[in-house]
Amino acid sequence: MNPGSLIHACLDGEISPEERERLESILRDDWEARRLYLELADLHARLLREPSVSTGRITSVAARRKTRTRPVVLAILAAAAAIVVSGAFWMSRPATEDESVSSGVAMLGETMDAVFSGDGLRAGDTLVPGRVNLESGLAQIEFFSGATLLAEGRAELEVISAWEVRCLSGRIRVRVPPAAKGFLVYSPDLKLEDLGTEFALNVRDGASDVHVFEGEVIAHTGVKAPESLTDGMSLAHGDLPVTPGSFLPLGDLAGQRLSRAESRYRDWQSWSQQVARDPGVIGYYPMERPGDDRWDRLVRNAAEPRVPSRAGGAVGVRWTEGRWPQKDALEFKRPGDRVRLNLEGTYQAITLACWVKVDSVDKKYNSLLLTDGYENGEPHWQIYEDGSLMFSIIYRPEGGERTGKWNQMYFSRPVFTAESLGRWHHLAVTYDGESGEVVQYFDGNEVGRGVSALHVPRREVVFGPCEIGNWGLPTEGHQFPVRNLNGAIDEFLIQGTACSPLEILAMYERGRPRP
Amino acid sequence: MSGEPQKSSTESLILLLTEHQERLFRYIFSLVPVEADAKDILQETSVALFRKFDQYDPARPFLPWAYRFAYLQVQKHRGKSSRSPLLFSEDVIDLLAAERERHEPVLEERLRLLDRCLEKLTPDDRALLTSRYARHESAESMMRRFSLSRRTLFRNLEGLRRRLHDCVTRHLETEGLA
Repeated sequence: MNPGSLIHACLDGEISPEERERLESILRDDWEARRLYLELADLHARLLREPSVSTGRITSVAARRKTRTRPVVLAILAAAAAIVVSGAFWMSRPATEDESVSSGVAMLGETMDAVFSGDGLRAGDTLVPGRVNLESGLAQIEFFSGATLLAEGRAELEVISAWEVRCLSGRIRVRVPPAAKGFLVYSPDLKLEDLGTEFALNVRDGASDVHVFEGEVIAHTGVKAPESLTDGMSLAHGDLPVTPGSFLPLGDLAGQRLSRAESRYRDWQSWSQQVARDPGVIGYYPMERPGDDRWDRLVRNAAEPRVPSRAGGAVGVRWTEGRWPQKDALEFKRPGDRVRLNLEGTYQAITLACWVKVDSVDKKYNSLLLTDGYENGEPHWQIYEDGSLMFSIIYRPEGGERTGKWNQMYFSRPVFTAESLGRWHHLAVTYDGESGEVVQYFDGNEVGRGVSALHVPRREVVFGPCEIGNWGLPTEGHQFPVRNLNGAIDEFLIQGTACSPLEILAMYERGRPRP
Repeated sequence: MSGEPQKSSTESLILLLTEHQERLFRYIFSLVPVEADAKDILQETSVALFRKFDQYDPARPFLPWAYRFAYLQVQKHRGKSSRSPLLFSEDVIDLLAAERERHEPVLEERLRLLDRCLEKLTPDDRALLTSRYARHESAESMMRRFSLSRRTLFRNLEGLRRRLHDCVTRHLETEGLA
């Protein structure tokens, strides 16, 4: 039997004592045999525990919610019970769930100081049928039928379907475009059938007042025959006449949002000016559209003192809105989109940080910052297909094979999930060349920390020609050369020191889009 | 830093173990390649971690710390069943543990690539994989199901794993460097 077959026999428990002795003596003498054994044992163990394909790419919202909450709770209960019973505990791995169909019927649109009771809803969340209780603030609900509802202050709503909503109490305003004609709004004493219009509804103590601003609404009271309400007409439950002024006005949301955004933006600007003067900064790209570049392709390096050679060049990418309406960002969509940089110098430690809105993690590797090719000391920072952050740096020994695995790789836990896509998030990674420690952050929180087994202290980090959002010069014959980011980047910081967790947290706090 | 409410230490350990128990299992299994024994050792390791969890420094990575406990439990287990023909000698276990530490990043990368190879299995290989690994069928039952002699059955299982291993190696080589 050859060494391979001995290993397989050993894993299958089909090995005789003599054969085992032979295998042992091979393992003692030959490190390659030890590696082969370890690889096969790992493969066998993985199959024993999880015989099917593991869930690779990001799973759907519903599936994630399930795996995240229930099994952990069960595991804790099971573990607690096992400790009590036997002093030992054993947890089963949460079962991988089948991808479930999204049951969303609406989306939470813009909000302003909105506080919800129960689940902490955030702008952009998908809503499934159920109660939405607004405690205070303003919130806009966008139904998949096309109807839009704005609620202010205390409001109790029940989202029934893409075509129906119930208002139990509160002040709401509804706009129904032609495509959503027939949208139904229920109140405790009314059913309103909207024939393409804009109207407001106030519900207090189980009684409703309606005012139609535009178009037509059929009001079913259940007592009288259905009543048609058109432009400017109101329907009051009491004897007191109602005026348009007692209903929820529009325009507040947009106006208030803008002034709130303005103050966040100014706060970020003052922080940004400090960063630009930090002597440790290698390159700092706030991603603000240059007013004086007629070509619109200059990505300014704001670091002081100015180093013109470190300015970025935009290729393909388009300017778009950033974290605030006042702020620009660069959108990366097509395979050619990229920002070219050339950063000279050697560094003992680095920090990479950026604000990014990822629309989709659709490739195996999705670029944040990659050097051209992959030479010694060059870092690569990307998002892996499972939504985790991946930082790697390569040091190929003299005469080491080109195809060998010489890069130190670090993965965070998955951070890009269905919930975090399409929103602005702060990503950061620090690498310390002395300790080899890599710490990864998502929105100011640590999501990964480790030292590679391949680490050797005091090797330098270099960049040279590199790119934000793409891989400029894939290594020859690479299987995954296309790595363009699908999303937008608003601010990119490259620093020649490893920032502390507090510094990273401050970056997040000062730059977050909303308070 | 994140302002999360303080978790109890049991809860923290459970979360850490849930996250890392598969890697811990693979570590143990590579030193004691008998499934039932490896499961027992994982359980004993969990208990040991539970008892000593107050000594764990959350600023340090969890796995290296947990591996030390697993290694001690492996040695203990080796001492108890010293005459089992299926177990490796102590010096071999030491060599394997050291090699595994060096080789772990590659092993992890290989498992990531394994999924792609599993997707490409032939129907025959898939049937074999399901009954051996998903259903944990005995050799006797598999011999009946596939009308195979014991020898051929194990040769086929060896072939299945060999193909998967080769496929992963190919992916690793063509993919080159991440």
